[in-house]
Amino acid sequence: MPIIVSFVLLGIGILALVLRRDLVIKLLALGLINGSSILFLVGIGNRPSARAPIHVPGEVATFVDPLPQALVLSAIVVNFAILALALVFVMILVERYHTTDAVRIEVETSRESEEEETPCL
Amino acid sequence: MPLILLPLLRFLIAVLSISIARARRPLAVVSHAVDAAMLAWLAASLARGTPVGWTLGSGSAGIGISMTGDRIGMTFAALAWGLSLAVNVYIWRDRLRPYFFLLVHLLVGACYAVSFTQDLFNAYLLFELLTLVSFLLVGYERRPRQIWASLRYLILSSFGMSVFLFGVGIVYAHCGTLDVGVLRPLIAASAGEPWVLLAAALLTTGIGVKAGVFLFSLWLPAAHARAMPAVSALLSGVVIKMGVLELFRLADVFPLRLPLIVLGSITGILGIAYAVTVHDIKKMLAFHTLSQIGYVLIGFGADTPVARLGALTYAVAHGLFKALLFLSAGDASAHVGSADDRTLTEHKARIPRATRIALAVGVLGIVGLPPLAGFDAKAILEDGLSSLGPRIIVWLLSIGTVLSFAKFVPFLFARSTVRAERPRACAYAWLGGLIVAFWPVSVLMTSVPLCLAALGGMHLIESLGSLLAGAGLYMLVRRRTLRLPQAIFRLEESPLIILLGFFLVFVLLFISGSAG
Repeated sequence: MPIIVSFVLLGIGILALVLRRDLVIKLLALGLINGSSILFLVGIGNRPSARAPIHVPGEVATFVDPLPQALVLSAIVVNFAILALALVFVMILVERYHTTDAVRIEVETSRESEEEETPCL
Repeated sequence: MPLILLPLLRFLIAVLSISIARARRPLAVVSHAVDAAMLAWLAASLARGTPVGWTLGSGSAGIGISMTGDRIGMTFAALAWGLSLAVNVYIWRDRLRPYFFLLVHLLVGACYAVSFTQDLFNAYLLFELLTLVSFLLVGYERRPRQIWASLRYLILSSFGMSVFLFGVGIVYAHCGTLDVGVLRPLIAASAGEPWVLLAAALLTTGIGVKAGVFLFSLWLPAAHARAMPAVSALLSGVVIKMGVLELFRLADVFPLRLPLIVLGSITGILGIAYAVTVHDIKKMLAFHTLSQIGYVLIGFGADTPVARLGALTYAVAHGLFKALLFLSAGDASAHVGSADDRTLTEHKARIPRATRIALAVGVLGIVGLPPLAGFDAKAILEDGLSSLGPRIIVWLLSIGTVLSFAKFVPFLFARSTVRAERPRACAYAWLGGLIVAFWPVSVLMTSVPLCLAALGGMHLIESLGSLLAGAGLYMLVRRRTLRLPQAIFRLEESPLIILLGFFLVFVLLFISGSAG
């Protein structure tokens, strides 16, 4: 089940990334794509009626696979860093062009000539 | 132990160089000296035949995070070292904010780590680190176009790495390990199963975004052309190569022969087509990074040991001459005030002589004049190609390279009194020397008989033939202007093309699986 959901989320994320022009929504879509890959990794470690991998001495139980869970922790942190940095750069672009529309920013940046281009901030 | 120390010491130097900003020059000297010593130790123990490996977390293979110091990894680490040295010399006197040096050291440290890592998830994390660091480096000057190019890079590469993570998940679900060495027999045993095809396509797509493969890396021309010269040199010279190295490791495990040849041909031909049509020389160099990756992918796909060695040698050679070209082209356009080849020709007297010599050496290296770097590596690669198709494509690519670099010739010859800054000249001398004297380097990377065969008469004739053919073709087409679609490089279209590339790889894997 989590695996199917993760592929659905991936699809939604890609659609939003391609179809929406707003940069903030594009970044949200990127977050969704990253989240879907994390859900997928957690999903493959899942087993029917398994418990969290915390071992209690003297007890026999099925655990979920702990390795993917350990892996996604680092992936979550990385994705957080990427989204945060991307938002900073979007902020810089918004301060200059007063829009979050990717198509308009594309047009505006290509209009700037190399010599007269002044740094943002 | 040096395997883990190499990246970790670089990270330490990075932190020190931002906390003690005044000591950045001594720190750079110390870090390069220590790295050189460790690389020499690694080379010596490889020559003695002692395996160098290191596993964190577990003694048994396949569970811990393992790093292996094989010859290929060492070569790429040495490439990272050489380019880091060149770039650090190049920016010796530049006034830059301390965090720039932090980022450069982090970038090189991450490259060392990727060179040795055997673990797919570890590779994922290191690629994300490379993404973040190069994102900040591309946008360092905060010019709007840099910011926009690096934002597109970040979004597309994060998307690509998510796709990679799906592939990692599938591999782990079926094999229970992510160690490339342990995976090889497991994947070979279940060749042709649908999950292998899906995982291979996902992993190739994810790495393709980082490795400069045309359908996947459409962010590359803008990011590499807009960044500062020192940054472009590092990105094109070594960061892209890390993706290539990972593709090489994947090609070892998965049956990627046909997809790599097709992707290599597409990358090479389209890269050259775009390079011929632009006038901005930095952008042209960026497109040529794509086209030269084409050679490397064809070599990997050819699947003979000689071709693969040749492709790796070519990747190293390309790192050297592309770094030299980016450094000198950036310097030339800074002196003239424009990167347009027509403006450069008009004001060619303003370009310092050392810069023009460096550009000339870089151009001769990339077009493959014997016995410079490009010729040698390409000859080894061609010796390994068994079938005619890839050979013809490689030959067409060499003609195309000459055709597009003919634009550089008009501003290489001039009388100028401007002197290059000394650090710049030193950086050119280091890289240029390596390019001119590449033959001994390639002997170290491959073997003496292979390199002697590469100097054979057929290769000389072929190289001179493609030089003449390219120059002649340039004379015919230089008055024509051709506009190729630029929309594919936009943020909206690029993810779609990445998906298209994914389906292409999947279909090709399916075809080659059912044929074999």
